[in-house]
Order: sequence, then C-alpha cells, then structure tokens
Amino acid sequence: MSRPTDDTLEESAARLHVTSKSSGAYETGPMKVVGKSALRLDAVGKATGATKYGQDLFDKKFLFAKVLRAAHPHAEILGIDTREAKRLSGVVAVLIHKDVPGTNLHGLIRRDQEVLCSKKVRYRGDALAIVVAKTEEIAVAALEKIHVDYKPLPSVLTMEDALKVDAPKIHAEGNVLGEKHLRRGDAPRAMREADVVVEDIIQTQTVDHAFLDLEAGRARYDGKMLTIEVSGQWLHEERRLIALALGLPLEKLRIIQPATGGAFGGREDISIQIYLGVAALKLKGKMICLRYSRSESTIVRHKRHPIRVHYKLGAKKDGTLVAAQVTFYVDKGAYASTGIAVMRKASSHATGPYKVPNVWVDVLGVFTNNNPCGAMRGFGAAQTAIAYEGLMDRLAVKLGMDQAELRRKNLVKSGDEVTTGQVVPYATATECFDAVLKRIDWKNRSYETPAPHLKRGYGISIVCFGLGYGDGFPDASRARCRLTPDGLLEVYSGACDVGQGLTNMIAQIAAEEVGVPLEKVRPILSDTALTPESGSTSATRQTYFTGSAVHIAASELKKQLQDIAASHLQELVYEIKIENGAAFNVHRPERRMTLKEIARVGKKRGFSLEAMGVYKPPTMPENTQTGQSMRAFVTYLFGSHACQLLVDTETGEVKIERYIACHDVGKAINPDQVIGQIQGGVAQGIGMALMEEVVMKDGKIMNPGFTDYILPTIRDVPEIECIVLENPDPGGPFGARGVGEPPLIGTGPAILSAIYDAIGTPIRELPATPERVWRALLDH
Amino acid sequence: MFYQPKDIQKALGLKAELKERGAFLAGGTDLVVLMNHGKAAPENFIDLTHIPELRAIHKHNGTLELAGNVTYAQMGKLPIRCLARASLSVGGPGIRELGTIAGNLATASPAGDGSTALLALDAEVELTSVRGTRRLPLEEFFLGYRKTALAPDEMITKIFIPTNYQTDWAKNGKRGAMNISIVAVAVAITPKKEVRIALASVAATPIRCYQAEKFLAKNGLTTETIRQAVQSVRGEIKPITDHRASADYKVHVSGVMVRRLLESLVKQ
Repeated sequence: MSRPTDDTLEESAARLHVTSKSSGAYETGPMKVVGKSALRLDAVGKATGATKYGQDLFDKKFLFAKVLRAAHPHAEILGIDTREAKRLSGVVAVLIHKDVPGTNLHGLIRRDQEVLCSKKVRYRGDALAIVVAKTEEIAVAALEKIHVDYKPLPSVLTMEDALKVDAPKIHAEGNVLGEKHLRRGDAPRAMREADVVVEDIIQTQTVDHAFLDLEAGRARYDGKMLTIEVSGQWLHEERRLIALALGLPLEKLRIIQPATGGAFGGREDISIQIYLGVAALKLKGKMICLRYSRSESTIVRHKRHPIRVHYKLGAKKDGTLVAAQVTFYVDKGAYASTGIAVMRKASSHATGPYKVPNVWVDVLGVFTNNNPCGAMRGFGAAQTAIAYEGLMDRLAVKLGMDQAELRRKNLVKSGDEVTTGQVVPYATATECFDAVLKRIDWKNRSYETPAPHLKRGYGISIVCFGLGYGDGFPDASRARCRLTPDGLLEVYSGACDVGQGLTNMIAQIAAEEVGVPLEKVRPILSDTALTPESGSTSATRQTYFTGSAVHIAASELKKQLQDIAASHLQELVYEIKIENGAAFNVHRPERRMTLKEIARVGKKRGFSLEAMGVYKPPTMPENTQTGQSMRAFVTYLFGSHACQLLVDTETGEVKIERYIACHDVGKAINPDQVIGQIQGGVAQGIGMALMEEVVMKDGKIMNPGFTDYILPTIRDVPEIECIVLENPDPGGPFGARGVGEPPLIGTGPAILSAIYDAIGTPIRELPATPERVWRALLDH
Repeated sequence: MFYQPKDIQKALGLKAELKERGAFLAGGTDLVVLMNHGKAAPENFIDLTHIPELRAIHKHNGTLELAGNVTYAQMGKLPIRCLARASLSVGGPGIRELGTIAGNLATASPAGDGSTALLALDAEVELTSVRGTRRLPLEEFFLGYRKTALAPDEMITKIFIPTNYQTDWAKNGKRGAMNISIVAVAVAITPKKEVRIALASVAATPIRCYQAEKFLAKNGLTTETIRQAVQSVRGEIKPITDHRASADYKVHVSGVMVRRLLESLVKQ
C-alpha cells in the first residue's frame, strides 16, 4: 500500500472528518439546496455573452502569436532559418527551441514531448517555432518565411509496422511505450475447460474531443510573475509542467482559467500554455495572445486511443462466465501523454460489470507517427466496454440464451470482487439493469417493422466504472470556505469547471452544509494564486473529491459559526442551527443572529472565519504482474443502457428509435445537471458508435473540421430517457458518486448490441457507418 | 472594395469591370467558408443582397422563375417535391436562410443537393451580363469539377423550372442534418411520361443518367424495368472512394435509392 507522504498536519486533521461530515446534531430535516435543480450560476452570463472565454480576452493592442507545425510526420530537423521571418514588418519575435529557457519538455506522465522540436518531429502537429507579431495576419504570413531543413524519415503509421524488428525508431528507446498485465486465476486452463468459448477482434477508431471553445488565451510576464490565462483541466499540474519546461519556480507562475466551453479530456495535455509562456518571458511586459483555428486544434491535439481488442470469453453451459483472455493493442501515436494510465484503465475494466474468476489481460502501447492519443471521456474503459459487451452478445447467441438473462446472471453484486480483485461493497449494477429492462419492456419487445428491408434491434449494456485515479496515486482535492464581512459564503477551489456544472455542484454543497441560500454563495475557482489544488477535472472525480473537500470545509466553517453564535447568544452550541443565512436556537428561534452579525462578532473575537477541507481517500497500487489491488479505485459507479433501433439492411443506415440510460449517481446534487451530463454523454457516445472518426492518411488528418468530422446533430439523437438512481455512497458528499464518464461508456456497446440484434452479424470496426453495416451484411 | 449595388444593371456593370477580381456575394455560405480556409481571397465583393428583385419567385404559363438569390428556405416551401426536399436537407436553418440557388449552382459542387433536383426538373438557367442575356439547360451549365459555363462578367439571374413534373428526392449520408451527401438522388416523371434521374456525389459534377432514362421511357415503369434501370444507373455513375465512403458503397446505394424513389413515384 502506498503511504501518503505529503500530508500536512492540516490535511491529516481534515481527513479525520471524512466519515462524519455533518457537524450539527439537528441535521436530519429535508435538504434545501442539494437535490434541487437550481439555475446554473453561470447561466445568465453565458446566455447573454457576458462570460469571457479565452478568445474574449484578446485586444488589438496586444501581440499575437502563431506556431509553426511540422511538414512531415517523421523527420530529422537539420536546421531552422528564421532570418527572413524576422525581417517581415510587424514581426516582434521568432522563437525556436533555443529560446525555451527550461527543459523544453512536457508530458503528463512521461515528459517526452518537446515544446519546440530541436532534433526531430514525430507527428504533423509537432511545433518548431513561435512567431510573435503585431497582428495575427502578420504572424501567419511570417510562418511561411521560416525555412526548416528536414531530413524526412520513413514514417510509421500502423502498429504492425511499428512493431517490426527493423522499424524506424520513433523514440530513442523504441516504439513500445509499455505493457500492462492482469492475472487473476488461470485463464488459459479455465478456457480449455469451458463448455462454450467465443472469440473476436474489435477495432475502435480515433476520436476527437470536438469541444466548441477552441484553445485560446493570453499571457504576460511583469518581471515578477508570469500569468497565463488558458483553459485546462488541472491548473496546478499544468503549472508544474509549464514551470519545468520554462525553468521557472512555481511561485513565479500563475495560471487562471477563463470560462471554458467543453474539455472531455482534450484539455488534459498541455496545449498553448507553454508557447504563450515562452513568448511572454521573452517579451517582458507585453501581453501575448494565441488561439487555434478548428483545423489547427484538430491537427495538434491528442485523440482517443484507437484500440484493437482480441477478446476470448469462456462460459459453462448454463451461462456462468469462467474465463476471459484479452489483449489490447493501443495505438499511442507519437507521444506518451496519459497512455500508460489509459492502458491500465483498459486492463482493470476488461470484464466490466461481469464476475469472471479467471482473467488474463495484456496491454501493449505502441508508438506511431499518428496524433498522440491521451485522455478522453471514458479513458480506455469506453473502448473496453464495446469489446466485452459485444462478446457477451455473441456468447448469448452461442448458448441460445437471452442476452439480458446471460448478463444478469453474471453481474457483480455487493461484496463481490471485480477484475482488479477489489471488493465492491455497493454494487448496484443489477438495480440499474433491471430499471432499464423494465422501462424498455424487454420481455415484450417487438421486432415488427414497417418494411421488409428494415430490421429492428434491441441493445443493452452495463457499466461498472472505477472512479478517480486510484492505483495508489495520492489523489486529493482541497477547498476553502470563508465567511465575508458581508455574510457571504466564499468557496475557493482549484477545480476547473469546463462546462459540466462544477460551479453549481460546489456552491450547492456549501450552501446546504452551512445553511445559507444559494445566492449567498460566491464560488471562486481555478486561479493558482487564489485557490487550493483540487486535482483534475477528469476520471469522474470532481463531485466525489472536490465536492467532499467543499463539504468538509463548509462543515468546519459551520462549526466555527455555531461556536460564535452560541457564545454570543449564550446558548448551547449543539442547539444552534444555521438555516437560510441565520443562526438560532432550535428551541427558541427568536434567539438568533444573521451571518453578517456572526462575521462581525467572530472577527472581533479573533476567529478566522474560514476553514480548509481536504479529501484524500487512499487507494492501493495494482500489483505490476497481476493487476490486483485491494483498493484499485476509491469507489465504483454503475449504470445501464438500452437502445432500440432500426437498420436499413439495403443502405446500412441506422436510426435510433428509443434510448434509455440509467445511472446510479448516489445523490444528484443538481438533478438537471446530472441529466444534462447523461444526455451529453449519450449524444457523444452516439457519435462514437455511428459516425465520428478521425481519418488519417500518411500521418495527416484528412477531416480536420466539422464539415467532414461528423458529429451527431439533434436529428441523430433521440429523446434520451434518463433514470437517475440514488443509492448513496458513504465516501461522497451527501452520498453523491459521480456521472461524467459512465454515460458515454454505456452508449457505444448498447448501440452495437442493438445493431447485432437487428442484423445477426457483428460490426467489428467502429464507427458503424452505413457503409460498414452494409459490408457486414454483405459478408454475412 | 465592398460594393453594394441596388439594382442588377449596376451589379453587372461592376462585374464587367472587375471580372475575376470581383466576387458576387449573396448568402456567403460557400464563399466565406472558402475564405476562412484560405482558399479564396477576393479583392472586391459585389454584395447582391440589396437587390430585392433577385429574391423574387414568379410563375408564367406553368413555369416557375426563381431569381438568383432565392434561398433554400424559400425553395423549401415550393410545391415541387424534389426541390423542396433537397432544399430542406441543406445545412441547418441558418444556412438555409442565407444560401441561395444561384450561389449553389455557381459553386458547382459535385455534391450539390439542389443541383440534382434542378437537373431532374430539366431546369434552365438565365445568364446575364452587360453584353446581354442567354438561356441554357442546366446540363450544359456544369462543365467539369467546379467548372461552369458562367463567363467572368455573367450573373445567374433566373432559373426556370416546370411545375407539372412528378418528382421525388433523397440523400444518403452519415447523419440527419448538416449532412454532405454520400449520394443524393432526384427523380422525375414528365407529363410525357419520360423519366429523369439525377445524382450528386457520384461524378465530377451532378449528373443525369441518360441511358437509364431512355430505357425507362421506352419500356415504362415496372418492377422489372426499374430493376434493369438501376443496373444501368450503377454503370453510368463514376464515384470515387473518399473519406465519406468507398466507390463500391456509392454505386450500391445509388441503385437502392433510385429504385426506391422510382417505386414511390409509380405508387403516387
């Protein structure tokens, strides 16, 4: 087990309160703010256009930067001549690798990517130079005047080519990023002894995050502090990476998050921050702006890993699963990014919600000269779910069993071990699944269609998802609550709201715990100079982690406020209740004082009127050989989906007729936002299942824009029937679990399962475009 | 320069003077996209949106006259099934309010949705310049990949379409809206019971399938003749494999769509 080593005394003290978050004795009444679909605090600003996103921070009087990208997917750099570009009127600076003051390296887990390439380019999005000019147009013109002398190297575009003995090496150490293994029981032996075995190969595609708010921001260095305003997902980690690349001490670097329009994992890797930093340090006192176009954003940014899954599943005659043998080949693209963690997520989720006593998993991450792949909603578990649910369908057919019955029989129950060997104390997979089967009326499903060329299909999927980073990573969230002299409740957190609604989540939790109306809460978010580190907006962790940290801080602050009120009113502290912004004695409500009065009195008596909350639930590293861990993840989330669709067997077109998604979120802090997350995840999952695909040719993206990168529209997304279950998780704030990723994970498999049900032959390569469905029917 | 002529004569005068250095701008749904992608950078714009007569729709002796700036939204309301359906499939509501028929034809996209409907309708275009006016069948207007018969000083002023054709239209693509077609098909039956079949995204320009049309004109529309006509269509088209779909799929799905549309016309 990993021992948390960097705990401060304060953190250790705060940790003691994790299990007893409620502070007062009279807290059993109905909740006033949590569980209510309060209007989003950012709604008016966003709807009226007052909210400032990255591009809104620009001004004509600032300087503008542009970045030169590689002309080849794989080449040595023999020289970079910037003289002509520098001579262009209006150009202020042209910067190359020599101008980066620090390590010139970045990367979330392994720092293997140069900010500005010095010797070699490894994909077409690699950067070589930054131009800073008086206008964006001049900067673009200057890029053309930079002359790079390349020695093109043979490019490695497929995993097969990358693994050949004589393959050109993309990185000095070779073309393999790493391996992951999971060994549970004796899978080969159990497979030999199984009554029925099914086996298949499934290939997922390269997917783009396609967030609307393109990378954009600004930076300035005033001689003491470098301030960078760019949207990310984990400001404090970004600050560390930027500081290393630039050779700056942390305290000289401030990162501020502008309003953010979507992330989905696409802002986890560093984007434009270091370019801005390099330019700002060079041009002291000047404000530098930089933004990507849609095509630059697509060409440069990491993607969802395309994964080839070899899956073999064995069962007894009665459908009881006995063995799974799985190999994942993961196309990493050019750099490591979060690849190792994605590979681990794939292996630890290899059998999803199904209890399989013997599981062997091997994962191989392979470098190519394609776009680097990294975090995206689902993080390796999305690709995996498509494989295991596909195999469950094939198994049901081979056994002659109803596909729902086969699944239900093998679901993990509370107290069972999942693939990592972790016991899941609160498994609600069966509840979710049953809710979905009931809603779609599974037993009475009808296959009648209006025309013979139309075939109907029903698909089901179940999600079991490990929340947070786990694996012994010292994952923590911190938050601070403060009562202002005006009686307002300020909540400070470094967590990034990337559009999902984190602002309301923390405000509603703080309001509920302290006992103030929501309009008295002032969330202050994501500014490294003001807010404590709250970890990343990823791994479906912010409600569980930062929500808990806020809950703890609010609870600590409330105790102070109750102490102040009790001593001032001369009442017993355990009889003091705070409600609607006033403290009073529960038995004598006329004995009361407002929070503003508490602030005044408390200040006079030397109270800090603020409190810190730290939430750091421990996990344990997975054994490197077996992938087993008693606590691989802090908790598991469950959900289930059902899909009814029509396949046009002549054209291969698919029309989703009905979609049902059930998720157990523990407690919906804001139910409308939870439903928004579910619907958004399903819509994004429909894109992955049916149409989204980054098409690459010779390392070049052929569809770097929304004309040809096909995202679902409102015509492609049916009404999504959401079922929200609330089985509380004792580790989450007010029992909340989380909801970010599972809705996406459930969607692809449900749709593919329904297509298989309709046409009787599986789609093995994603997305299931009309053409792929047609071809599957031809080959059938 | 950005010119905003108030009548057609002034616009034509400007175009005659500027020729290739002046670009007509109506909805801008193609031109502005090209500019954003750095594929067009006109020196001068001749904005046509201040000429009300270019938005007019008239009917004379059973022929509709659409002026050049008639939008997809306007055409979506016409009682001509193939044209209305094609128009309503273009982009989204915003694009349909801006995009114009003349713009669509001048762009000569091989994937033009409106073009297939107009080809099946035997539409004619009126091209006007300071030199005068000429009228030619739409089939003769498309010369090659994004090439048209439009001279550098000419404007598409009118499109003439008959109102007595029985028509239908469909498209295949990866999603339900904002959808560049993998294949688009328009079919029509003339009052003389001749058949018209037009397809987009299967050649360098939107095309007609004359052999199939002739075969059907001669042999009538039955399940069997339609089957044979579909084979003919599959031979007449020359799609390419691209990132939207393979040539094989386009050939196959063109046939399916032609068959279904013709069968639905027979039933009507």
